[in-house]
Amino acid sequence: METTVSRFLKIVLVVAALVAVVWLLSAIRSTIVLLVISALLAYILDPFASYLEFKGLSRTSATILIFLALGGVVFSLFYFLIPALSHEIASLQKGLDGKTTSQLFDNIEGFIKETIPLLKGQDLNLQADMQKGIQNLAESLFAILVNLVPLFTSVIIIPFAVFFLLKDGRDMKKHLVSLVPNRYFEMTLNLLHKMDIQLGGYLRGQFVDSTIIGVLAIGALWILDVPYFVLIGIFAGLANMIPYVGPFSGAVVAIFTVLFSHGSGQEVLYVALAFLIIQLIDNVLVQPLVLARSVDLHPLTIIFAIIIGGQFFGMIGMLVAVPTAGIIKVTAIEAYNSARRFNLI
Amino acid sequence: MSDEALWANIFKQKNVVKENMFTVLKRIPVFQDLGYKELRAVERILHRRHYKRDEVIFRENEPGVGMYIIEHGKVHITVGRENKLLVLLSNGDFFGEMALILSGKRTASAIAHEETSLLGFFQPDLFNLMETNPKIGNKIMFRLSQMIAERLRLGTLENRQLKARLNVLQSELETLKKGKKD
Repeated sequence: METTVSRFLKIVLVVAALVAVVWLLSAIRSTIVLLVISALLAYILDPFASYLEFKGLSRTSATILIFLALGGVVFSLFYFLIPALSHEIASLQKGLDGKTTSQLFDNIEGFIKETIPLLKGQDLNLQADMQKGIQNLAESLFAILVNLVPLFTSVIIIPFAVFFLLKDGRDMKKHLVSLVPNRYFEMTLNLLHKMDIQLGGYLRGQFVDSTIIGVLAIGALWILDVPYFVLIGIFAGLANMIPYVGPFSGAVVAIFTVLFSHGSGQEVLYVALAFLIIQLIDNVLVQPLVLARSVDLHPLTIIFAIIIGGQFFGMIGMLVAVPTAGIIKVTAIEAYNSARRFNLI
Repeated sequence: MSDEALWANIFKQKNVVKENMFTVLKRIPVFQDLGYKELRAVERILHRRHYKRDEVIFRENEPGVGMYIIEHGKVHITVGRENKLLVLLSNGDFFGEMALILSGKRTASAIAHEETSLLGFFQPDLFNLMETNPKIGNKIMFRLSQMIAERLRLGTLENRQLKARLNVLQSELETLKKGKKD
Protein backbone atom coordinates (compact mmCIF):
# COMPACT_ATOMS: atom_id res chain seq x y z
CA MET A 1 0.00 0.00 0.00
CA GLU A 2 2.73 2.37 1.01
CA THR A 3 4.64 1.70 -2.19
CA THR A 4 1.62 2.54 -4.34
CA VAL A 5 1.19 5.79 -2.47
CA SER A 6 4.81 6.77 -2.88
CA ARG A 7 4.65 5.73 -6.49
CA PHE A 8 1.57 7.82 -7.03
CA LEU A 9 3.31 10.71 -5.31
CA LYS A 10 6.29 10.27 -7.57
CA ILE A 11 4.13 10.38 -10.69
CA VAL A 12 2.35 13.48 -9.44
CA LEU A 13 5.66 15.15 -8.75
CA VAL A 14 7.04 14.27 -12.17
CA VAL A 15 3.90 15.53 -13.89
CA ALA A 16 4.01 18.72 -11.82
CA ALA A 17 7.65 19.23 -12.73
CA LEU A 18 6.86 18.70 -16.41
CA VAL A 19 3.99 21.16 -16.27
CA ALA A 20 6.24 23.67 -14.53
CA VAL A 21 8.92 23.26 -17.20
CA VAL A 22 6.40 23.63 -20.01
CA TRP A 23 4.88 26.67 -18.35
CA LEU A 24 8.29 28.21 -17.84
CA LEU A 25 9.26 27.54 -21.45
CA SER A 26 6.04 29.09 -22.76
CA ALA A 27 6.43 32.03 -20.40
CA ILE A 28 9.90 32.81 -21.68
CA ARG A 29 9.23 31.82 -25.26
CA SER A 30 10.17 35.19 -26.70
CA THR A 31 13.57 34.79 -25.05
CA ILE A 32 13.81 31.28 -26.43
CA VAL A 33 13.11 32.65 -29.90
CA LEU A 34 15.97 35.10 -29.44
CA LEU A 35 18.25 32.31 -28.34
CA VAL A 36 17.23 30.04 -31.19
CA ILE A 37 17.75 32.77 -33.77
CA SER A 38 21.15 33.58 -32.27
CA ALA A 39 22.13 29.92 -32.24
CA LEU A 40 21.07 29.51 -35.86
CA LEU A 41 23.04 32.58 -36.93
CA ALA A 42 26.11 31.42 -35.00
CA TYR A 43 25.75 28.00 -36.56
CA ILE A 44 25.54 29.49 -40.05
CA LEU A 45 28.60 31.65 -39.40
CA ASP A 46 30.65 28.83 -37.88
CA PRO A 47 32.38 27.72 -41.12
CA PHE A 48 33.65 31.26 -41.64
CA ALA A 49 35.19 31.28 -38.18
CA SER A 50 36.71 27.86 -38.82
CA TYR A 51 38.12 29.07 -42.12
CA LEU A 52 39.74 32.07 -40.44
CA GLU A 53 41.13 29.75 -37.79
CA PHE A 54 42.56 27.65 -40.59
CA LYS A 55 44.20 30.83 -41.86
CA GLY A 56 45.96 31.11 -38.53
CA LEU A 57 43.75 33.36 -36.44
CA SER A 58 42.65 32.49 -32.95
CA ARG A 59 38.98 31.75 -32.46
CA THR A 60 38.47 35.07 -30.70
CA SER A 61 40.12 37.15 -33.41
CA ALA A 62 38.27 35.17 -36.04
CA THR A 63 34.97 35.99 -34.33
CA ILE A 64 35.88 39.66 -33.99
CA LEU A 65 36.87 39.84 -37.65
CA ILE A 66 33.59 38.28 -38.73
CA PHE A 67 31.70 40.79 -36.63
CA LEU A 68 33.65 43.69 -38.07
CA ALA A 69 32.90 42.43 -41.58
CA LEU A 70 29.24 41.90 -40.81
CA GLY A 71 29.06 45.33 -39.20
CA GLY A 72 30.53 46.79 -42.36
CA VAL A 73 28.00 45.02 -44.54
CA VAL A 74 25.08 46.06 -42.36
CA PHE A 75 26.34 49.63 -42.18
CA SER A 76 26.83 49.99 -45.92
CA LEU A 77 23.51 48.31 -46.51
CA PHE A 78 21.79 50.87 -44.35
CA TYR A 79 23.88 53.65 -45.77
CA PHE A 80 22.68 52.86 -49.27
CA LEU A 81 19.25 51.57 -48.43
CA ILE A 82 18.10 54.06 -45.82
CA PRO A 83 17.44 56.85 -48.35
CA ALA A 84 15.44 54.38 -50.42
CA LEU A 85 13.83 52.85 -47.37
CA SER A 86 12.86 56.14 -45.79
CA HIS A 87 11.40 57.22 -49.10
CA GLU A 88 9.46 53.98 -49.25
CA ILE A 89 8.29 54.29 -45.69
CA ALA A 90 7.26 57.90 -46.20
CA SER A 91 5.27 57.11 -49.31
CA LEU A 92 3.91 54.00 -47.66
CA GLN A 93 2.68 56.12 -44.80
CA LYS A 94 1.17 58.63 -47.13
CA GLY A 95 -0.39 55.89 -49.14
CA LEU A 96 -1.75 54.12 -46.11
CA ASP A 97 -4.06 56.94 -45.22
CA GLY A 98 -5.77 56.86 -48.58
CA LYS A 99 -8.86 54.88 -49.38
CA THR A 100 -7.20 52.90 -52.10
CA THR A 101 -4.71 51.55 -49.68
CA SER A 102 -7.35 50.39 -47.32
CA GLN A 103 -8.86 48.64 -50.30
CA LEU A 104 -5.44 47.27 -51.11
CA PHE A 105 -4.97 45.76 -47.70
CA ASP A 106 -8.44 44.28 -47.71
CA ASN A 107 -7.64 42.68 -51.00
CA ILE A 108 -4.24 41.49 -49.90
CA GLU A 109 -5.72 40.10 -46.74
CA GLY A 110 -8.42 38.36 -48.65
CA PHE A 111 -5.88 36.95 -51.02
CA ILE A 112 -3.56 35.78 -48.29
CA LYS A 113 -6.44 34.19 -46.47
CA GLU A 114 -7.42 32.43 -49.66
CA THR A 115 -3.90 31.32 -50.43
CA ILE A 116 -3.05 30.23 -46.93
CA PRO A 117 -6.16 28.48 -45.71
CA LEU A 118 -4.88 28.15 -42.19
CA LEU A 119 -5.20 31.88 -41.72
CA LYS A 120 -8.85 31.93 -42.68
CA GLY A 121 -10.22 32.14 -39.18
CA GLN A 122 -7.79 34.77 -38.08
CA ASP A 123 -8.15 38.45 -38.43
CA LEU A 124 -4.93 39.51 -40.01
CA ASN A 125 -5.32 43.21 -39.40
CA LEU A 126 -2.54 43.79 -41.85
CA GLN A 127 -3.32 47.42 -42.35
CA ALA A 128 -3.46 48.29 -38.68
CA ASP A 129 -0.28 46.36 -38.02
CA MET A 130 1.49 47.96 -40.93
CA GLN A 131 0.30 51.40 -40.02
CA LYS A 132 1.45 50.99 -36.47
CA GLY A 133 4.82 49.67 -37.51
CA ILE A 134 5.29 52.40 -40.05
CA GLN A 135 4.30 55.12 -37.66
CA ASN A 136 6.87 53.80 -35.24
CA LEU A 137 9.49 53.61 -37.95
CA ALA A 138 8.78 57.07 -39.17
CA GLU A 139 9.38 58.67 -35.83
CA SER A 140 12.80 59.73 -34.77
CA LEU A 141 15.48 57.16 -34.09
CA PHE A 142 15.21 57.73 -30.38
CA ALA A 143 11.48 57.27 -30.43
CA ILE A 144 11.88 54.05 -32.38
CA LEU A 145 14.22 52.71 -29.76
CA VAL A 146 11.84 53.64 -26.97
CA ASN A 147 8.71 52.42 -28.70
CA LEU A 148 10.11 49.17 -29.88
CA VAL A 149 11.78 47.90 -26.75
CA PRO A 150 11.49 44.29 -27.89
CA LEU A 151 13.11 45.18 -31.19
CA PHE A 152 15.75 47.12 -29.34
CA THR A 153 16.56 44.22 -27.07
CA SER A 154 16.74 41.79 -29.94
CA VAL A 155 18.91 44.16 -31.94
CA ILE A 156 21.29 44.31 -29.00
CA ILE A 157 20.91 40.81 -27.60
CA ILE A 158 21.12 38.81 -30.81
CA PRO A 159 24.54 40.08 -31.95
CA PHE A 160 25.76 39.77 -28.38
CA ALA A 161 24.57 36.17 -28.10
CA VAL A 162 25.82 35.31 -31.59
CA PHE A 163 29.25 36.64 -30.72
CA PHE A 164 29.69 34.46 -27.68
CA LEU A 165 28.05 31.42 -29.24
CA LEU A 166 30.41 31.74 -32.17
CA LYS A 167 33.46 32.26 -29.98
CA ASP A 168 32.73 29.74 -27.23
CA GLY A 169 30.20 27.45 -28.87
CA ARG A 170 32.62 24.59 -29.24
CA ASP A 171 33.62 24.68 -25.57
CA MET A 172 29.98 24.96 -24.56
CA LYS A 173 29.19 21.91 -26.64
CA LYS A 174 32.08 20.03 -25.07
CA HIS A 175 30.90 20.91 -21.57
CA LEU A 176 27.36 19.82 -22.38
CA VAL A 177 28.61 16.56 -23.82
CA SER A 178 30.72 15.98 -20.72
CA LEU A 179 27.50 15.85 -18.70
CA VAL A 180 26.26 12.83 -20.64
CA PRO A 181 26.61 9.54 -18.71
CA ASN A 182 29.36 7.19 -19.86
CA ARG A 183 26.91 4.70 -21.31
CA TYR A 184 25.52 7.20 -23.82
CA PHE A 185 28.55 9.37 -24.24
CA GLU A 186 30.08 8.00 -27.41
CA MET A 187 26.69 7.62 -28.98
CA THR A 188 25.86 11.25 -28.22
CA LEU A 189 29.11 12.43 -29.71
CA ASN A 190 28.52 10.45 -32.85
CA LEU A 191 24.95 11.64 -33.05
CA LEU A 192 25.94 15.29 -32.77
CA HIS A 193 28.52 14.85 -35.49
CA LYS A 194 26.05 13.23 -37.87
CA MET A 195 23.44 15.90 -37.18
CA ASP A 196 26.04 18.57 -37.76
CA ILE A 197 26.82 17.17 -41.19
CA GLN A 198 23.16 16.92 -42.16
CA LEU A 199 21.86 20.12 -40.63
CA GLY A 200 24.87 22.30 -41.32
CA GLY A 201 24.49 21.84 -45.05
CA TYR A 202 20.75 22.24 -44.88
CA LEU A 203 20.59 25.40 -42.76
CA ARG A 204 23.49 27.14 -44.45
CA GLY A 205 22.00 26.25 -47.81
CA GLN A 206 18.66 27.75 -46.80
CA PHE A 207 20.34 30.90 -45.60
CA VAL A 208 22.41 31.39 -48.75
CA ASP A 209 19.41 30.55 -50.92
CA SER A 210 17.23 33.12 -49.15
CA THR A 211 19.90 35.78 -49.44
CA ILE A 212 20.35 35.18 -53.17
CA ILE A 213 16.60 35.21 -53.83
CA GLY A 214 16.18 38.37 -51.76
CA VAL A 215 18.92 40.17 -53.65
CA LEU A 216 17.57 39.00 -57.01
CA ALA A 217 14.06 40.11 -56.09
CA ILE A 218 15.22 43.53 -54.92
CA GLY A 219 17.20 43.95 -58.14
CA ALA A 220 14.36 42.85 -60.41
CA LEU A 221 11.77 45.01 -58.67
CA TRP A 222 14.12 47.96 -58.73
CA ILE A 223 14.61 47.59 -62.47
CA LEU A 224 10.84 47.28 -62.96
CA ASP A 225 10.38 50.38 -60.83
CA VAL A 226 8.03 48.72 -58.39
CA PRO A 227 7.41 50.78 -55.26
CA TYR A 228 8.64 49.40 -51.92
CA PHE A 229 11.02 47.17 -53.82
CA VAL A 230 13.39 46.77 -50.86
CA LEU A 231 10.69 45.66 -48.44
CA ILE A 232 9.09 43.29 -50.93
CA GLY A 233 12.49 41.87 -51.87
CA ILE A 234 13.38 41.17 -48.25
CA PHE A 235 10.00 39.58 -47.72
CA ALA A 236 10.39 37.43 -50.84
CA GLY A 237 13.82 36.26 -49.69
CA LEU A 238 12.59 35.33 -46.23
CA ALA A 239 9.40 33.74 -47.50
CA ASN A 240 11.40 31.62 -49.91
CA MET A 241 12.41 29.45 -46.95
CA ILE A 242 8.84 28.20 -46.78
CA PRO A 243 8.29 25.60 -49.48
CA TYR A 244 5.32 25.81 -51.86
CA VAL A 245 3.65 28.91 -50.39
CA GLY A 246 6.80 30.96 -49.86
CA PRO A 247 7.97 31.72 -53.40
CA PHE A 248 4.37 32.35 -54.39
CA SER A 249 3.60 34.82 -51.63
CA GLY A 250 6.56 37.03 -52.55
CA ALA A 251 5.25 37.32 -56.08
CA VAL A 252 1.70 37.93 -54.88
CA VAL A 253 2.71 40.81 -52.66
CA ALA A 254 4.67 42.38 -55.50
CA ILE A 255 1.81 41.99 -57.97
CA PHE A 256 -0.70 43.53 -55.61
CA THR A 257 1.62 46.40 -54.93
CA VAL A 258 1.88 47.06 -58.66
CA LEU A 259 -1.87 46.75 -59.07
CA PHE A 260 -2.65 49.24 -56.38
CA SER A 261 -0.04 51.72 -57.40
CA HIS A 262 -2.08 51.96 -60.60
CA GLY A 263 0.25 49.80 -62.58
CA SER A 264 -0.84 48.54 -65.95
CA GLY A 265 -1.55 44.95 -66.76
CA GLN A 266 1.68 44.91 -68.65
CA GLU A 267 3.62 45.87 -65.53
CA VAL A 268 1.92 43.11 -63.59
CA LEU A 269 2.93 40.71 -66.30
CA TYR A 270 6.53 41.86 -66.09
CA VAL A 271 6.61 41.46 -62.32
CA ALA A 272 5.08 38.00 -62.57
CA LEU A 273 7.59 37.14 -65.25
CA ALA A 274 10.44 38.45 -63.10
CA PHE A 275 9.40 36.24 -60.20
CA LEU A 276 9.00 33.31 -62.56
CA ILE A 277 12.54 33.82 -63.80
CA ILE A 278 13.84 34.17 -60.25
CA GLN A 279 12.14 30.93 -59.32
CA LEU A 280 13.61 29.30 -62.39
CA ILE A 281 17.09 30.52 -61.46
CA ASP A 282 16.47 29.33 -57.92
CA ASN A 283 15.37 25.87 -58.98
CA VAL A 284 17.83 25.29 -61.77
CA LEU A 285 20.94 27.10 -60.57
CA VAL A 286 20.89 28.13 -56.92
CA GLN A 287 19.21 25.23 -55.19
CA PRO A 288 21.22 22.43 -56.82
CA LEU A 289 24.38 24.32 -55.90
CA VAL A 290 23.72 25.46 -52.36
CA LEU A 291 21.10 23.07 -51.09
CA ALA A 292 23.43 20.10 -51.27
CA ARG A 293 21.61 18.39 -48.46
CA SER A 294 17.91 18.78 -48.36
CA VAL A 295 15.78 17.35 -45.62
CA ASP A 296 12.82 15.66 -47.24
CA LEU A 297 9.66 16.72 -45.51
CA HIS A 298 6.21 15.68 -46.54
CA PRO A 299 4.02 18.62 -47.68
CA LEU A 300 1.59 17.79 -44.89
CA THR A 301 4.41 17.96 -42.35
CA ILE A 302 5.42 21.32 -43.74
CA ILE A 303 1.90 22.72 -43.52
CA PHE A 304 1.41 21.58 -39.95
CA ALA A 305 4.85 22.80 -38.97
CA ILE A 306 3.95 26.24 -40.31
CA ILE A 307 0.62 26.26 -38.47
CA ILE A 308 2.25 25.29 -35.19
CA GLY A 309 5.08 27.77 -35.67
CA GLY A 310 2.55 30.52 -36.36
CA GLN A 311 0.47 29.61 -33.32
CA PHE A 312 3.39 29.79 -30.96
CA PHE A 313 5.68 32.43 -32.35
CA GLY A 314 3.72 34.36 -34.95
CA MET A 315 5.31 35.41 -38.22
CA ILE A 316 8.85 34.51 -37.14
CA GLY A 317 7.57 31.14 -36.02
CA MET A 318 6.15 30.49 -39.48
CA LEU A 319 9.46 31.38 -41.08
CA VAL A 320 11.57 29.14 -38.86
CA ALA A 321 8.97 26.37 -38.73
CA VAL A 322 10.29 24.44 -41.71
CA PRO A 323 13.96 24.47 -40.71
CA THR A 324 12.89 23.52 -37.19
CA ALA A 325 10.84 20.63 -38.50
CA GLY A 326 13.90 19.57 -40.51
CA ILE A 327 16.07 19.71 -37.39
CA ILE A 328 13.56 17.63 -35.44
CA LYS A 329 13.29 15.07 -38.21
CA VAL A 330 17.04 14.63 -38.63
CA THR A 331 17.51 14.45 -34.86
CA ALA A 332 14.80 11.84 -34.43
CA ILE A 333 16.08 9.65 -37.26
CA GLU A 334 19.70 9.85 -36.20
CA ALA A 335 18.86 9.30 -32.53
CA TYR A 336 16.80 6.25 -33.41
CA ASN A 337 19.51 4.80 -35.66
CA SER A 338 22.23 5.40 -33.08
CA ALA A 339 20.17 3.90 -30.29
CA ARG A 340 19.63 0.80 -32.41
CA ARG A 341 23.26 0.48 -33.33
CA PHE A 342 24.24 0.77 -29.68
CA ASN A 343 21.67 -1.86 -28.77
CA LEU A 344 19.75 0.50 -26.53
CA ILE A 345 16.43 -0.39 -28.09
CA MET B 1 47.99 -11.63 -36.27
CA SER B 2 46.91 -12.75 -32.83
CA ASP B 3 44.57 -10.65 -30.75
CA GLU B 4 47.32 -10.02 -28.25
CA ALA B 5 49.52 -8.48 -30.88
CA LEU B 6 46.71 -6.20 -31.94
CA TRP B 7 45.79 -4.96 -28.52
CA ALA B 8 49.03 -4.96 -26.63
CA ASN B 9 50.67 -1.59 -26.55
CA ILE B 10 53.72 -2.29 -28.63
CA PHE B 11 54.81 1.32 -28.38
CA LYS B 12 54.81 1.51 -24.63
CA GLN B 13 57.80 2.97 -22.90
CA LYS B 14 58.77 1.64 -19.53
CA ASN B 15 59.50 3.46 -16.27
CA VAL B 16 56.94 6.18 -16.28
CA VAL B 17 56.45 7.80 -12.91
CA LYS B 18 54.70 11.13 -12.83
CA GLU B 19 51.48 11.66 -14.70
CA ASN B 20 49.90 14.81 -15.85
CA MET B 21 48.02 15.44 -19.01
CA PHE B 22 50.99 16.73 -20.95
CA THR B 23 53.38 13.97 -20.02
CA VAL B 24 50.62 11.49 -20.81
CA LEU B 25 49.89 13.07 -24.17
CA LYS B 26 53.53 13.52 -25.06
CA ARG B 27 54.05 9.78 -24.75
CA ILE B 28 51.18 8.85 -27.03
CA PRO B 29 52.73 8.09 -30.41
CA VAL B 30 49.88 9.83 -32.23
CA PHE B 31 50.80 13.14 -30.56
CA GLN B 32 54.55 12.56 -30.62
CA ASP B 33 55.35 15.25 -33.20
CA LEU B 34 53.36 17.99 -31.54
CA GLY B 35 54.93 20.94 -29.79
CA TYR B 36 53.69 22.46 -26.56
CA LYS B 37 51.27 24.86 -28.22
CA GLU B 38 49.93 22.18 -30.50
CA LEU B 39 49.41 19.84 -27.57
CA ARG B 40 47.39 22.56 -25.90
CA ALA B 41 45.16 22.73 -28.97
CA VAL B 42 44.71 18.97 -28.78
CA GLU B 43 44.01 19.16 -25.07
CA ARG B 44 41.10 21.45 -25.82
CA ILE B 45 39.36 18.82 -27.91
CA LEU B 46 39.99 15.84 -25.64
CA HIS B 47 37.15 14.62 -23.46
CA ARG B 48 38.03 13.61 -19.93
CA ARG B 49 35.84 10.76 -18.71
CA HIS B 50 35.74 9.05 -15.34
CA TYR B 51 34.82 5.42 -14.90
CA LYS B 52 34.05 3.39 -11.80
CA ARG B 53 35.45 -0.07 -11.23
CA ASP B 54 33.89 -2.60 -13.65
CA GLU B 55 32.18 0.10 -15.66
CA VAL B 56 32.04 -0.61 -19.38
CA ILE B 57 33.90 1.90 -21.54
CA PHE B 58 32.74 0.35 -24.78
CA ARG B 59 31.36 -2.98 -25.86
CA GLU B 60 32.42 -5.29 -28.62
CA ASN B 61 30.35 -4.84 -31.81
CA GLU B 62 29.13 -1.39 -30.83
CA PRO B 63 30.06 1.33 -33.29
CA GLY B 64 33.18 3.16 -32.18
CA VAL B 65 34.27 6.67 -33.12
CA GLY B 66 37.53 7.19 -31.32
CA MET B 67 40.38 6.23 -29.06
CA TYR B 68 40.93 6.50 -25.33
CA ILE B 69 44.10 7.32 -23.45
CA ILE B 70 44.42 6.14 -19.86
CA GLU B 71 45.29 9.15 -17.74
CA HIS B 72 45.31 7.00 -14.65
CA GLY B 73 43.75 3.69 -13.79
CA LYS B 74 43.59 0.26 -15.36
CA VAL B 75 41.50 -1.05 -18.22
CA HIS B 76 40.70 -4.62 -19.24
CA ILE B 77 40.41 -5.36 -22.93
CA THR B 78 38.27 -8.45 -23.40
CA VAL B 79 36.61 -10.35 -26.24
CA GLY B 80 33.70 -12.68 -26.60
CA ARG B 81 30.73 -13.42 -24.43
CA GLU B 82 32.84 -15.01 -21.75
CA ASN B 83 34.95 -11.82 -21.60
CA LYS B 84 38.24 -13.47 -22.35
CA LEU B 85 40.94 -11.12 -21.12
CA LEU B 86 43.29 -10.00 -23.86
CA VAL B 87 45.36 -7.44 -22.06
CA LEU B 88 45.38 -5.20 -19.01
CA LEU B 89 46.27 -1.61 -19.89
CA SER B 90 47.39 1.04 -17.44
CA ASN B 91 48.57 4.65 -17.16
CA GLY B 92 49.70 6.14 -20.44
CA ASP B 93 48.36 3.29 -22.54
CA PHE B 94 45.80 3.87 -25.21
CA PHE B 95 43.26 1.77 -27.04
CA GLY B 96 40.62 1.95 -29.74
CA GLU B 97 42.76 4.07 -32.09
CA MET B 98 41.58 2.07 -35.11
CA ALA B 99 38.14 3.60 -34.67
CA LEU B 100 39.65 7.01 -35.37
CA ILE B 101 40.10 6.02 -38.98
CA LEU B 102 37.73 3.15 -39.48
CA SER B 103 34.52 4.00 -37.72
CA GLY B 104 33.23 0.47 -37.63
CA LYS B 105 32.32 -1.90 -34.87
CA ARG B 106 34.61 -2.32 -31.89
CA THR B 107 36.56 -5.57 -32.09
CA ALA B 108 36.82 -5.93 -28.31
CA SER B 109 35.26 -4.60 -25.13
CA ALA B 110 36.98 -2.22 -22.74
CA ILE B 111 36.12 -2.35 -19.05
CA ALA B 112 37.57 -0.25 -16.25
CA HIS B 113 39.45 -2.45 -13.80
CA GLU B 114 39.57 0.22 -11.12
CA GLU B 115 38.66 3.90 -10.75
CA THR B 116 39.89 5.18 -14.09
CA SER B 117 40.21 8.50 -15.78
CA LEU B 118 40.41 8.47 -19.56
CA LEU B 119 41.05 11.04 -22.23
CA GLY B 120 38.84 10.45 -25.24
CA PHE B 121 39.96 11.53 -28.71
CA PHE B 122 37.24 11.17 -31.29
CA GLN B 123 36.84 11.18 -35.04
CA PRO B 124 34.56 14.24 -35.31
CA ASP B 125 37.05 16.27 -33.28
CA LEU B 126 39.91 14.99 -35.41
CA PHE B 127 37.99 16.08 -38.50
CA ASN B 128 37.44 19.52 -37.00
CA LEU B 129 41.10 19.75 -36.12
CA MET B 130 42.10 18.80 -39.66
CA GLU B 131 39.84 21.54 -40.94
CA THR B 132 40.84 24.35 -38.60
CA ASN B 133 44.42 23.35 -37.93
CA PRO B 134 45.66 21.11 -40.74
CA LYS B 135 49.23 21.24 -39.50
CA ILE B 136 48.35 19.48 -36.29
CA GLY B 137 45.86 17.26 -38.07
CA ASN B 138 48.49 16.13 -40.56
CA LYS B 139 51.01 15.34 -37.86
CA ILE B 140 48.47 13.25 -36.04
CA MET B 141 47.25 11.55 -39.18
CA PHE B 142 50.80 10.71 -40.21
CA ARG B 143 51.59 9.13 -36.87
CA LEU B 144 48.31 7.29 -36.95
CA SER B 145 49.06 5.82 -40.38
CA GLN B 146 52.55 4.99 -39.24
CA MET B 147 51.17 3.12 -36.28
CA ILE B 148 48.78 1.20 -38.43
CA ALA B 149 51.47 0.47 -41.00
CA GLU B 150 53.65 -0.83 -38.19
CA ARG B 151 50.83 -3.05 -37.02
CA LEU B 152 50.36 -4.25 -40.57
CA ARG B 153 54.08 -5.00 -40.87
CA LEU B 154 54.08 -6.95 -37.64
CA GLY B 155 50.97 -8.75 -38.77
CA THR B 156 52.52 -9.62 -42.12
CA LEU B 157 55.66 -10.93 -40.45
CA GLU B 158 53.61 -13.02 -38.09
CA ASN B 159 51.47 -14.20 -40.94
CA ARG B 160 54.58 -15.26 -42.85
CA GLN B 161 55.97 -17.13 -39.87
CA LEU B 162 52.68 -18.87 -39.33
CA LYS B 163 52.48 -19.83 -42.98
CA ALA B 164 56.01 -21.22 -42.86
CA ARG B 165 55.12 -23.21 -39.78
CA LEU B 166 51.97 -24.41 -41.39
CA ASN B 167 53.95 -25.58 -44.40
CA VAL B 168 56.37 -27.43 -42.18
CA LEU B 169 53.52 -29.03 -40.27
CA GLN B 170 51.75 -29.94 -43.48
CA SER B 171 54.83 -31.61 -44.96
CA GLU B 172 55.39 -33.40 -41.65
CA LEU B 173 51.82 -34.61 -41.75
CA GLU B 174 52.29 -35.84 -45.28
CA THR B 175 55.47 -37.73 -44.41
CA LEU B 176 53.64 -39.20 -41.44
CA LYS B 177 50.79 -40.30 -43.72
CA LYS B 178 53.28 -41.75 -46.17
CA GLY B 179 55.00 -43.54 -43.31
CA LYS B 180 51.66 -45.02 -42.25
CA LYS B 181 50.93 -46.19 -45.77
CA ASP B 182 54.30 -47.81 -46.09
